[in-house]
Amino acid sequence: MLHHLIRILLITPFFAVFIHTKTMAQTQDKKRVTGNFENYTFTRLADRLEAATGYHFYYDPRDLDTLAIDMTVNNATINQILDRLFEHTDFHYAIDPYGRVFITRHAAIITTLPEALGGPGKLTSQQGIDLAAQDQADRSKLKKVLAENQLMEIGNKANHTPGKATVAGYVRNDATGEPVVGASVYADAMTIAVTTDQFGFYSLTLPKGRHQVNVSGSGMKDTRRIIVLYSDGKLDIDMPEAVATLKAVIVSAEKTSNTQSVEMGVNRLNIRTIKQVPVVFGETDIMKVVESLPGVTTVGEASNGINVRGGSTDQNLILFDGATVYNPSHLFGFFSAFNPDVVKGVELYKSGIPEKYGGRLSSVLDVSMLGGNNKKWSGVAAIGPLTSKLTIEGPLQKEKTTVVAGVRTTYSNWLLNNLPDNAYHGSKANFYDANLRITHIIDPKNTLYVMGYLSSDWFNLDNDTTYRYNNKNANIKWKHLFNNKSNALFSFGVDNYQYSVSDTRDSTNDFKLAFKINQTWLRAEFSYAPDNRNAISYGVSSIDYKLHPGSYTPLGSESIVVPNIVPAEQALESAVWLGDQFTVNSRLSVSAGLRYSVFNYLGPHDEYNYAPGVPLSTSTIVDTSHYGKNKFIKTYSAPEIRLSARYSLSDNASVKVSYNTLEQYIHMLSNTVSISPTDIWKLSDPHIKPQQGDQVSLGYYRNFKANTIEASVEVYYKRIRNYLDYKSGAELLLNSHIETDVLTTKGKAYGAEFLLRKLTGRLNGWISYTYSRTFLKQDDPLAGQLINYGNWYPADFDKPHNLNVIANYRVTHRYSFSANVVYSTGRPITLPLSIFVLDGTPGLYYSQRNQYRIPDYFRTDVSVIIDGNHRIHQRTHNFWTVGAYNLFARQNPYSVYFIQENGKIKGYQLSIFGTVIPFVTYTIKF
Amino acid sequence: MRPRYLLLLCCGSWLLVTTLTRCRQAYDPPAIQAANNYLVVDGFINTGANAVTTFNLNTSVNLNDTTATGKPVIDATVTLVASNGQTWPLIDSNNTGSYSSAPLDLDITQRYSLSISTLNGQKYASDPVPCYQTPPIDSVWWRQPGDLDINVTTHAPAGNTRYYRYDFIQTWQHDAELQSPWTVVNGLLVASDSSNQLSECWTTDSSTAVLLATSASLTQNLISGYTVNIIPNGDARLDIGYSILVRQYAITEDAFNYWQLIQKTTDNIGTLFDVQPTQLIGNIHCTTNPTQPVIGFISATSMQQQRLNILHTWLNSWPHNEPGNTCDTMTLSGNAGYTLIWPNPGAYWWPYYFDANDDLVVGSRFCLDCTYSGGTNKKPSFWPW
Repeated sequence: MLHHLIRILLITPFFAVFIHTKTMAQTQDKKRVTGNFENYTFTRLADRLEAATGYHFYYDPRDLDTLAIDMTVNNATINQILDRLFEHTDFHYAIDPYGRVFITRHAAIITTLPEALGGPGKLTSQQGIDLAAQDQADRSKLKKVLAENQLMEIGNKANHTPGKATVAGYVRNDATGEPVVGASVYADAMTIAVTTDQFGFYSLTLPKGRHQVNVSGSGMKDTRRIIVLYSDGKLDIDMPEAVATLKAVIVSAEKTSNTQSVEMGVNRLNIRTIKQVPVVFGETDIMKVVESLPGVTTVGEASNGINVRGGSTDQNLILFDGATVYNPSHLFGFFSAFNPDVVKGVELYKSGIPEKYGGRLSSVLDVSMLGGNNKKWSGVAAIGPLTSKLTIEGPLQKEKTTVVAGVRTTYSNWLLNNLPDNAYHGSKANFYDANLRITHIIDPKNTLYVMGYLSSDWFNLDNDTTYRYNNKNANIKWKHLFNNKSNALFSFGVDNYQYSVSDTRDSTNDFKLAFKINQTWLRAEFSYAPDNRNAISYGVSSIDYKLHPGSYTPLGSESIVVPNIVPAEQALESAVWLGDQFTVNSRLSVSAGLRYSVFNYLGPHDEYNYAPGVPLSTSTIVDTSHYGKNKFIKTYSAPEIRLSARYSLSDNASVKVSYNTLEQYIHMLSNTVSISPTDIWKLSDPHIKPQQGDQVSLGYYRNFKANTIEASVEVYYKRIRNYLDYKSGAELLLNSHIETDVLTTKGKAYGAEFLLRKLTGRLNGWISYTYSRTFLKQDDPLAGQLINYGNWYPADFDKPHNLNVIANYRVTHRYSFSANVVYSTGRPITLPLSIFVLDGTPGLYYSQRNQYRIPDYFRTDVSVIIDGNHRIHQRTHNFWTVGAYNLFARQNPYSVYFIQENGKIKGYQLSIFGTVIPFVTYTIKF
Repeated sequence: MRPRYLLLLCCGSWLLVTTLTRCRQAYDPPAIQAANNYLVVDGFINTGANAVTTFNLNTSVNLNDTTATGKPVIDATVTLVASNGQTWPLIDSNNTGSYSSAPLDLDITQRYSLSISTLNGQKYASDPVPCYQTPPIDSVWWRQPGDLDINVTTHAPAGNTRYYRYDFIQTWQHDAELQSPWTVVNGLLVASDSSNQLSECWTTDSSTAVLLATSASLTQNLISGYTVNIIPNGDARLDIGYSILVRQYAITEDAFNYWQLIQKTTDNIGTLFDVQPTQLIGNIHCTTNPTQPVIGFISATSMQQQRLNILHTWLNSWPHNEPGNTCDTMTLSGNAGYTLIWPNPGAYWWPYYFDANDDLVVGSRFCLDCTYSGGTNKKPSFWPW
């Protein structure tokens, strides 16, 4: 690509100190001006002067719109007018030999090229400053400055037709080549910005001509490019990462700020923010940080999932670089299954879920994987008390093929064996995960992305029951650019999750219980940006499910266990969608989408038929119908609406509203009453209808102190239909007629979320408080039993009060201190209260469903991060993390369960980390 | 650019974790510690001809209570109320918490309810329930080989209720390992007769499981071969002879559902296969304190019963039960035996037989006295053999 260098405009104060504005004044007066400019804006004045003198003005109207002009001139030169106008202001001007007038703030522009840069050396200043000498000081800095200031020609210069053209390209980190996702790209003072997609791609349509393209992204330093747009063309932009400074930085990235984006109910975290949060054993944990966001709650310390806005854990679509992860945890839920070193960032959609996503009611958690450094090889190795990990990234072929590979494993066995409590002796716990991502740029229009993910766990806590589970995911994505305005992403993937429980208590009863889910999917997504006001997306996707809902088989030759295998289930979930993000004007922008999803429950399967008009029960089974392979047993379909709108009240305050409807065809059934939760997934079938939900939410966003402090309040109300709860006495495992043990309930959830977040400065972090309620109701006698007399009752995960404080204080560049405080109401529980005997049969009397609550959860963690040193150029970079988890040693219950002991029913609460846990971790970056 | 070679410094990192103490602790919140003594109303309104209606009133017990059965509720006023206003008292004549009516012929076109007031001033009332007449049992029959199944077949007109509950009383004979023609009466060694023999015993118990069957999904109101009891092969109950009295009650669907829940309450607690907690909502309510739970479901129905007898010799390969006792015997000469045994009856030794020398042979009492392992030595009146 030709970097046609026309002119270099240097505006840093560094150069400007040597130049006095007046010396720049040109002598070649063209015409003198006479006039009375009362109540003029600068724009109007400039128009008049341009018309009168033939000069052209270049300036940022935002800078000058506050300048009130009230003057009368008589036969004045342009220099005289501008001198007078800018007297006592910090505006400066410069006029080049071609009659262009540049208005800048703080410093004037040098309008000619310095010698060292091979220019003609037409320094008009008589002082003859040796800029080249100054310039040698930091070439790289200059390079950056050059990129920002050189004029780039885009498109075919010969094309002289008026109108608009589109510039498109990738925004990347200039140090690593990593795509910058979610960056705002906008031209001049335009209030309309476009956002880069998950691959850092943007497309911006502008009137042909000269523009300043500004780019700002979270965690990145703002940059800009000066372009002359002749016709459609490509502009890749490398932007520098923001260097952490202790002084509060003035962040001007208001285009990306939460007050300006149309999205609502979205939380974005980049990995740098995530890594500051202290967590158990110093192991950076993505899910734990997500749990601290407003609107997110969790049932227990070590639960397998999150509850978003009063939704259940199965109502979250957890995507890891496009792959659905069914169990995002390690070590019975204490660590998330995502290796933080390969994660780039996390996006959580709580409302305003884009139409391209579907299949879950509550949220989409999109965890993106690092694209990898395409410029040089680098890596991270970390040694902690529980895990060790190694990540390597680099170019296999420079700026063409990039690879990221990470592995993480634990050596927690010795930890368990060193515990003083005998109950843990002989216990074993192991896990590992491995990630691979390859990005291959075939040509500027075609890029391939390949990812592979494997996470595996096995643990054994009482010597005879071994639990294992695996996530296995792989996918390939092909991004194709048709042209600057439209592009497509085709992807294909396989996701697999399985678990097993094997018991070797005594040889005759040894068993293995296994569950497996497999999905194969195909997606085609298209983006079309006809202009900057519209971002249209459409696409089609299909998921082929195959579920093995449970098998119970003998283990070993002596076992006399009778095998019980619940027949496999299969289904196809497909969707088409179309959406547009439409910017009405600078204040109002609307995003509207429609998704239509279809679910086919497929054979081969034997379906029970139940007597009509009576509740489903094993005693009302009439007969069985057999369906052959790929026969459509049942089809469900529904349109889903996705609407959201943002109205800006001012530059730093806005209101947003959204409405969503969603459908969910796969459900998790979780046996929370047993000691070890054994969750199974169930597809919708002729008896189990899809869950349906809709949500309306309203939010107010306000930023303070130049967008460095974000505050927001969001309220929501949700309705859920066909949410599955369990009948009294339901059996979930190995049940081939699960429909007789579940109930469909109505649900309602409402809440308010408050967030105060400061992401820069010495003290940063956030405080979030969530008030969230979820109630269910089962009042249809035909559906089975009434729960709590048909009244609303709290759902298992109804936790009204949730407070999270995450604070990070940088004492110096080398030391920083972090604290994390979590408080939440205990979750509801149904307690056995009393024993009775009726007609000779003993029975247990339970309280009403979820009538009581387990104790509240409260935990405080602290950590100190000590950096080895801060030189940029060194072979390795290392730092220590020292901290304590659960500082106040509170025994928060992980699970509460009841067992029969010597003929008595006894309750126990299990707290895994019931004491303070100090930790030290050492990390090396190279 | 060439890959930069990795410099991996494995620096010391150690864990300061020394104590992960007491992960498991008893969970005993106030809700569980509370007395939780709820009224349990156990019985049914008997709509049979000249039938006595009996209700046992007791209270449920706290989880930490070791009492096997509930505490009887005595001195309560229990009244059977018909929808036409007629009432009948139920009297606890033995102060055991068992309240019975006089023999009644209830008008089955009426609805009936039960009203209870207890000494502590609480009043309870059941919802009025319609009357059902239980159809007679067609047959009770058994099936073997392997384990023995005992099954019930019954039918009723299609319009009748299709929900049935069963219970049973089973009796089995178990003999002493060593059979003696002698016994001890008032300190005297006498030849035994049917009133004092200790060689043959009969033990009776009742079903402890909830037994439910329904014909709701069938075109006919037919219960065909519902298994009420399974006796595993080799079980001692079929060592000699076995008799089972199966009782049938036709009940409403609501009652059926209630019993179905009880069936599930204590299954598998504390295992991987835990069932979800059940919620029992019966048709008896405390009128003075509506939030107070009451356990029980009142049905107005009659009882039909049928007995089935099975002899060990009818079965296929049913091994005899070997108690595995070591039976000691000892020969006593002269009067030694009298002094050994009878000053303290109940001691280890018990008369067995007189040998050829007329010396008394004594044996371990647990081998000679079948009541030692429970039951009665009186042959039940229904015993056919």
